[in-house]
Amino acid sequence: MSEVKKPKNVREPLFHLAKRDNLSGKKALLIRLSAIAVGILITCIFGFLIVGWTPLDILQTLIDGTFGTSNRRWDLMEKTAILLCISLAVTPAFRMRFWNIGAEGQTLVACLVSGACMLKIGDKVPNPLLLLIMLVASVAAGALWALIPAIFKAFWNTNETLFTLMMNYVAAQITSYYVYIWSVPKGSGHVGIINSTTKAGWLVSIGDKPYLLTILIVAVMTVISYIYLNHCKHGYEISVVGESEKTARYIGINVKKVILRTMIISGAICGLTGFLIVSGADHTFIKDSVGGLGFTAIMVSWLAKFNPLAMTFFAFLIAFLGKGSNEITTLTGLDSSFANIVTGLVIFCVIGCEFFINYTIRFRKKETPAAEKPVAPAKTDEPEAETETTEKEAQS
Amino acid sequence: MKKFVAMLLSLVMVLALTACGSGKKDSEGSEEYKNIKVGLICLHNEQSTYDLNFINAMKDACKQLGIPESRMIIVTGIDESNACYEAAKDLVDRGCNIIFADSFGHEDFMIQAAKEFPKVQFCHATGTKAHTEGLPNYHNAFASIYEGRYAAGVAAGLKLNEMIESGKITADKAVMGYVGAYTYAEVISGYTSFYLGAKSVCPSVTMKVQFTGSWYDETAEKEAAEKLMNSGCVLISQHADSMGAPTACEKAGVPDVSYNGSTVSSCPNTFIVSSRINWAPYYIYAINCVKDGKDIAKDWTGGFAEGSVELSEINEKAAAAGTKEKIDAVVADLKAGKIKVFATDTFTVKGAAITSYMADIDSDKDYTGDTEVIKDGYFHESEFRSAPAFDLQIDGIELLNSAF
Amino acid sequence: MSAVPAIELKGITKTFGDVIANQDIDLSVYRGEILSILGENGSGKTTLMNMISGIYYPDSGHIFIDGEEVLIRSPKDAFQYKIGMIHQHFKLIDVFTATENIVLGLTDGRYDLAAYEKRVQEICDRYGFNLDPKKKIYDMSVSEKQTVEIIKVLFRGADILILDEPTAVLTPQETDRLFDVLRHMRDDGKAIIIITHKLHEVLSLSDRVSVLCKGRYVGTVVTKETDEMKLTEMMVGAKVDLNIHRSDPVNPTPRLIVNGLNCKNEDGIPVLKNISFTAMSGEILGIAGIAGSGQRELLESIAGLQQLESGEISYMNPASGETEDLRNKSPRRIRELGVRLSFVPEDRLGMGLVGNMGIIDNMMLRSYETGRGFFLNRTAPASLADQIISDLQVVTPDAKTPVRRLSGGNVQKVLVGREIASAPTVLMVAYPVRGLDINSSFTIYRLLNEQKEKGVSVIFVGEDLDVLIELCDRILVLSSGSISGIVDPRSTADEKSLKEQIGLLMTKKVEDAPATAANVKAAEAAEAVEAPETGKEETERE
Repeated sequence: MSEVKKPKNVREPLFHLAKRDNLSGKKALLIRLSAIAVGILITCIFGFLIVGWTPLDILQTLIDGTFGTSNRRWDLMEKTAILLCISLAVTPAFRMRFWNIGAEGQTLVACLVSGACMLKIGDKVPNPLLLLIMLVASVAAGALWALIPAIFKAFWNTNETLFTLMMNYVAAQITSYYVYIWSVPKGSGHVGIINSTTKAGWLVSIGDKPYLLTILIVAVMTVISYIYLNHCKHGYEISVVGESEKTARYIGINVKKVILRTMIISGAICGLTGFLIVSGADHTFIKDSVGGLGFTAIMVSWLAKFNPLAMTFFAFLIAFLGKGSNEITTLTGLDSSFANIVTGLVIFCVIGCEFFINYTIRFRKKETPAAEKPVAPAKTDEPEAETETTEKEAQS
Repeated sequence: MKKFVAMLLSLVMVLALTACGSGKKDSEGSEEYKNIKVGLICLHNEQSTYDLNFINAMKDACKQLGIPESRMIIVTGIDESNACYEAAKDLVDRGCNIIFADSFGHEDFMIQAAKEFPKVQFCHATGTKAHTEGLPNYHNAFASIYEGRYAAGVAAGLKLNEMIESGKITADKAVMGYVGAYTYAEVISGYTSFYLGAKSVCPSVTMKVQFTGSWYDETAEKEAAEKLMNSGCVLISQHADSMGAPTACEKAGVPDVSYNGSTVSSCPNTFIVSSRINWAPYYIYAINCVKDGKDIAKDWTGGFAEGSVELSEINEKAAAAGTKEKIDAVVADLKAGKIKVFATDTFTVKGAAITSYMADIDSDKDYTGDTEVIKDGYFHESEFRSAPAFDLQIDGIELLNSAF
Repeated sequence: MSAVPAIELKGITKTFGDVIANQDIDLSVYRGEILSILGENGSGKTTLMNMISGIYYPDSGHIFIDGEEVLIRSPKDAFQYKIGMIHQHFKLIDVFTATENIVLGLTDGRYDLAAYEKRVQEICDRYGFNLDPKKKIYDMSVSEKQTVEIIKVLFRGADILILDEPTAVLTPQETDRLFDVLRHMRDDGKAIIIITHKLHEVLSLSDRVSVLCKGRYVGTVVTKETDEMKLTEMMVGAKVDLNIHRSDPVNPTPRLIVNGLNCKNEDGIPVLKNISFTAMSGEILGIAGIAGSGQRELLESIAGLQQLESGEISYMNPASGETEDLRNKSPRRIRELGVRLSFVPEDRLGMGLVGNMGIIDNMMLRSYETGRGFFLNRTAPASLADQIISDLQVVTPDAKTPVRRLSGGNVQKVLVGREIASAPTVLMVAYPVRGLDINSSFTIYRLLNEQKEKGVSVIFVGEDLDVLIELCDRILVLSSGSISGIVDPRSTADEKSLKEQIGLLMTKKVEDAPATAANVKAAEAAEAVEAPETGKEETERE
């Protein structure tokens, strides 16, 4: 075939895409890790351009801002835990291909209910009982908030994405209303720390570490979620319904029941998160108690491919980037949106690298007889040069 | 491929390792204040005019005192939640010995931190609890901004008079509109003083108030202003932080008395005057107290005299003739104490003059009045605590909504 | 035939990751000829054609049009070279008319529908298409839709036509008509490439045949000089016995009695009308019909997946001798009744299996509920998976590889293997060999025969009439949701007339009279009778 002369007027395209079929897990992990590294490098360059710091300074600040003091480490862990907990909450629904983007609202109503319990019965019942009531009430509230769209989905096939999204606004407005009703002083629109003297309804500290219990609870939830989703009949049903409702019906799974049950679980974990936020850290509730974590959690869940163990890493990564880059903004006086930009950059790289996990870019080969050889059929590794170019593509 | 990844990862690690070694010094600046490190916690960033006012004041104060930027740490975007407590702790970790916070909702978290770190001074603007908490290192501060609003109200009244004289409106149509955030004493005190200022020169004036339920909601504020103009208001003022109301006024050609600083650049035809709080005097006072080892006042209220209350330049284009002279006179009288804004002979409540009122000075969830505030013929605003406490509904002001 | 080929391919190679779809393919087609590309599923026929039509770009190799090397980077490029491809799946807008669909996307000239319609009509007349240019797509039969697709490329001036498995959706009569049209076009000087894996079509239609096997080019032969055996050998790479074994039913007893079944789809349109039949133990009951005649709904009704309007489904339990009513019971409920009903649905990866799960987890679909407790037990499914992999020679890296990564034949082996593993008494299979290569197909036939010999009542929905006739003991023909006849494939030795008879029944209109057993008998009796109205035009064309 090399005897055929290339016509002069036509040129082969510079590169074209080819699909990779079956990249080994190890290689995929390497690509993802390097994507994170690339993201951080871009951040460094970006930071250099904006504030003139060397990449070293920026890395140092990222790390110092998150690990520099004991308080920062605990705060980082707590942030990770709360984000992870909401991520765990959305995951069963996502595995079922039920796009629950209402975690924000489901968590917020739980915050409201927790706070309401502290306010209204904080001085009437003993603390352990109060905590139990708060936990049950928050879980129930979260579950209810998730159950409503699930019922509509299961029985009338309404669009769950819009429905759960709208429920967020309802939750926010209801919370605003009660924040106003119960505000101290009158009309100020702030409830303030509840039971600051009696500490009724405050999650107990283990040792003198106020967040340790929260972190432990979330760690246990992570393991439970993993087992539930991968080794329980319920988890299996969720996967089947998610993959194909037709298959689920074919084998006799009651799809409606699974949808309702899974959303109750999803909402209940949001409820737990709400309880942890109010009882474990804030001791009050505001309209922004969840602060968009319900949406960040969606990203965490996706990035981790709905695997609770991998979510631990991504929740940590996002908490780390957010807190670390906040430190940069504090020290440089940059706008606090810088933190979002950094997180966005890194996540962009991580998501973007999926492309290189699925595809490889083949460049126009040089006009040498050797290069014209068809690709070897054996399952050899990709040629080094090829993948390197893909990485370079990721940077630009 | 693997080589590349390995290279990349090791590069990052090397950077990270060497990063841990370097550090920055902060020993420049004036000798006198070399042991002072200041922290400021802000709800939003500079995009919010409210927070910008604090940030500018802090920068100004530090500049005046010769405290370098490396010992002035401003953290922005801190929610009124545990994040504030964490931020305060972090500032303590950084070595701050005085920490300020700018948002009302930060108060409880500041108190929480104050209890934990007794050696650090915590100063909270707009709060109400310093006098009841009894912590030696926790303080509230405010400004007698009601005086500034009173003076701004005078400018509004003069404008109304001008409209009446020119025949544009009749005296009974002199209706002002006010966009308020919440039905909270701070707002009530603000609009009442504004109204009383206007009334002092234009006796027939009445006012309508529309609340938005948010300190910053551009759309809601704009809509509130439009609603007020549609219901017959011929002049608008506001106590909320966005540009919603001023821009709505400029669009409709309705005169506007704004807040937090001049809006003349975006509203050249309608902006009359604006009052604002300058926090720099308080910051200087508090920082000096720390430097000198003196106690900071539990409740600090600054007025015109201290420079805490300021009026912007008057926009001659929109203001009535003679406004500047009149306002200068009023401000001088306020400084001298000749004018008491909430003098009981200038307003009535449900048709009757007020001779006694128990105000809710001590914050609690039962909202009970606890302190007699009417003495010597006027309401003693910002005396029992720095934050405003005037929450009477006086005649002549109509609330269009009160859900917030 | 001109001396220079219309299209010539040299050394075309295309890989998808590790999978080589085409390797070093040479091919040429001349104007005025029909070239068949023959190969089993997965042999790379469609990939190759997609490279000619600009959907894929080859990794290496050269394409020549009329002797000049060209680069085809997009379907637009292909169109410039007057290459038109008719895909297996139609891309038409339902609410538009034929002409509107044909001219859709044309940017030249002003939009004059009447003139376009005239030109469409001219094309129809020229090649003998039977199409009303004003007819809406939703009113059209599958073959009419295909006609629209063909005219669409002709309208754009294509003179190199590629048809991807065009007969898969057609009845025998429609196929004949299509072939007539294609011959017309050939005589008009067009170059035609037709992709297929049906040998008899290749032999009756094409001038030359190029054979692909596992992505490689095997060779090209002139049709007149070859026969089915030779082609099969080229295609499969080995000699294959093309006869399907059929034993006589032993001791048939009624196993499943369906009586007066009526069913509507989501839009409220009746899809099953008065269906009554009895499936016997130890026999294979074939179900024939044009795609969408109610085959799917019928099997799903029995499996408990359809809401029925009326009718009865009775199951004779061979173990207890009792009769169970299956009507409107969920699959789980049916299973709980002890009815051992297995079902291999048409949509293998969308219904029968979960594509993203491994073989083990797919085995669990039928059994995950067994055992007490909250947790899954993967031990039994794992050993079943291993057994199926070794018994049916499933080619897979391991039992955990997602089944969607497996080839069609292996997917089907996994599915059939699982369904047979539960020792069914009734086994329903829908299009079990669709997309399978010859060896895999014969494995499936063997498995079905084994089940039949075990006394299982097998219900086989098929599309290839040759297979139905060779495999089944009785063939039930569905037409628009009604039973139009039941045929005994052993009755006549003449396969051609049997096929014709079934083909006619497939399009026959059945009166909406309640179908009783007598009615069915009448239909059976009508088999031999001359075809009624709908069949007429077909007969005229013969």
